[in-house]
Amino acid sequence: MFPYRAYAGKYLFVDLTEGRIESREMDAKLAETYLGGNGFGTRLLWDNVGPDVDPLSPENWLIFATGPLCGTLLPNSGRFEVVGKSPLTGIYGDANSGGFFGPELKFAGWDAVVVTGESPHPVFLAISGEQVELRDAGALWGQTTSQTETSIRREWGDPGVMVVTIGPAGENGVRFASIQATPQRSLGRCGLGAVMGSKRLKAIAVRGHGPVQIADPGRFLEVSKAMHRNIRGDAVFPAVSQYGTPGIVSLMDPLGRFPTKNYQMGSFPEVDQINAESLQARALVRHLACFGCPVGCDKLYTLCGGPYDGTSLRSVEYETLNSMGANIWNADLDAILAANRICDELGMDTISAGRVISFAMELWQEEILNLEDTGGLRMEWGDVDIALDLLNKIAYRQGFGELLGEGVRRAAEVIGRGSEQYAMHVKGMEIAAQDGRAQKSMGLAHATSNRGADHLKAFPVIDETGFPDEGRRRYGEAYLPEIVNPIETKHKPFLVKDGEDFGAIIDSVGVCKSGGSFVLAEVYWDDIAAALESGTGMEMPVERLKQIGERIYNLQRCYNVLHGITRADDRLPRRFLEEPSPSGNAKGQVVELDLMLDGYYTLRGWDVETGKPTPEKLRELGLEEVLERLERQGVGPRG
Amino acid sequence: MKLEIHPEKCTGCRICQIFCSYKHENAIWLDMARLSIRNESDDGPFEPSHCRQCDDAPCAAACPVDAIAQDPASVAWVVAVEECIACGSCVDACPFDAIFLDEDRGFAIKCDLCGGQPECAEMCPTAAIVLVE
Repeated sequence: MFPYRAYAGKYLFVDLTEGRIESREMDAKLAETYLGGNGFGTRLLWDNVGPDVDPLSPENWLIFATGPLCGTLLPNSGRFEVVGKSPLTGIYGDANSGGFFGPELKFAGWDAVVVTGESPHPVFLAISGEQVELRDAGALWGQTTSQTETSIRREWGDPGVMVVTIGPAGENGVRFASIQATPQRSLGRCGLGAVMGSKRLKAIAVRGHGPVQIADPGRFLEVSKAMHRNIRGDAVFPAVSQYGTPGIVSLMDPLGRFPTKNYQMGSFPEVDQINAESLQARALVRHLACFGCPVGCDKLYTLCGGPYDGTSLRSVEYETLNSMGANIWNADLDAILAANRICDELGMDTISAGRVISFAMELWQEEILNLEDTGGLRMEWGDVDIALDLLNKIAYRQGFGELLGEGVRRAAEVIGRGSEQYAMHVKGMEIAAQDGRAQKSMGLAHATSNRGADHLKAFPVIDETGFPDEGRRRYGEAYLPEIVNPIETKHKPFLVKDGEDFGAIIDSVGVCKSGGSFVLAEVYWDDIAAALESGTGMEMPVERLKQIGERIYNLQRCYNVLHGITRADDRLPRRFLEEPSPSGNAKGQVVELDLMLDGYYTLRGWDVETGKPTPEKLRELGLEEVLERLERQGVGPRG
Repeated sequence: MKLEIHPEKCTGCRICQIFCSYKHENAIWLDMARLSIRNESDDGPFEPSHCRQCDDAPCAAACPVDAIAQDPASVAWVVAVEECIACGSCVDACPFDAIFLDEDRGFAIKCDLCGGQPECAEMCPTAAIVLVE
């Protein structure tokens, strides 16, 4: 019997090849060492998906996992995780979402859904509490994500059904296809939508009516209420609540940290047209929130009038305002929203989608591409009609879109002709909307992230614009002033390592990085330890929690090492290392990557030459068998 | 005292239901929340739907065993679960759908204003639910 509360205590194992569904009990030892969510998925991936497995083959696993604190009293405890091998990077992959699906899965009595195999025909998994079945999805195949959600709910006869689904992009194997979750949330990065598509799993729909039990109800209530109070009392709370992530558009631009024209620049002259104030003035309908979230950074936006009249969507984020805006030299806010909507409906990551378009536009600028290459498209900067057309072509793998749907790394390999230097990626994943030259910690974070260029693994927000109060509160006076100075490298290895380990915990317990743990910086190690202990009944001294975070992050790294990743792959595109930024506060700056990497590996207990975790570190984390497997495969730490 | 609702401020976060169910069930159990959220779609608009604690409480008037009585301190109409026979007369009588039956446990469930300090109003982050005297 699984001994811990707050968990459902069991998970679903689904083999799509055989159409077999099993209920499996959660393993107490696994929970004690990896918690749930991200940690649970990482361990299952390590154990079951070896280096020879093609991400789009039946042998890949897709692990949808809540964490022990998902669906509880904690602020923004609606988050869940999906883990699998990424078809974009070929290494460890994950994505995370808020909304309501995660809690609903827990209420239905399941901590996770683990999917493997490949169905002979399109199916969706229907979970109604203990009743679980695979249903035919022949009629859903080809539908957009919102159509799929609506169809499933209508057939089920219950608007309370929560859905994760892919769109046509996932069906068609676009390597940055997303999985969309009720309500219009995106599990965007790493292309795990294409993994769902390869398995012919169109959707998972869930309805639950059960309780989540708590080990120490009195203490858990106290801990949770303190978090709600602290978050709501934070000085930055009103701004984050009012504007959500778009609020930082205006803050990033003067720093030179707002990627423009595929990172040629870090500031956009027409930024005022696509910032949060313009967005809200143009299209805000109402403020919305994910499960249990006092911040409510989500909004509903609707366009009235103009060429995209009637376009209605939520979750318009900073990232998309950049990727479909400044990044492609576009100041037409309506067109950004239209692009965002297309990506949500067809099921694509807006970050990678924007980045493949800006990549093609820069190749056009450099006259590396011609009309024959692009199928007749003149890839001029700022041409939104072409961008919108291309998004459709990518999702349906038509014309030039087919090549771009492979992501910038593969596209550059096919194009050749020196195009690689314009492919802004790390480990195959397109870079998010930060510039390491303007914020050194982000440069390091992009290079080290286990899922490729990504801001959310380390999520160093303390030094974005400089938050001295947050920095002091979290790290102490000794780290100031450097830790909050964006162009300073000192203490940034520490900031990144601490963020990666803490982020692994946040993604494993099922709460949000934007709702207090990173943004606002009100929730930290001791808060999560107290919540875990009172919620689950698991003994959780802070030092133990820190070790779990470190273990999860190291196991992901070892999974990547198993796939051949070394220090040589922790690289940024040449542009960040050699071309000084022309913009704003970052003018003249490059990323001193090797300097920071040396410090980072040392702090991590990884070999500075190879970037691999040392035997001592792996033994310290209880990962002896991991060490043995790496050595057996000939990629051991000293190799 | 009564709950006052400002539906235009509701974001659909369900914090009211989360804390309500916890207060009464020691568990996060949205199906047992004493108030509901009505919405046209996932994108809202939302409207918290709650017990008005009517002066002439039709639920209490309809109860054949007098299991619903007003608490003089909070003025909330409270179900005495040990007396309730789960006949459903109160559910039919309520014009606001603010009372429901838990058939497994065999009694009616409604808002008791948490004895005078309602969790929903305390925890609502946008003041969509407030307590008024």
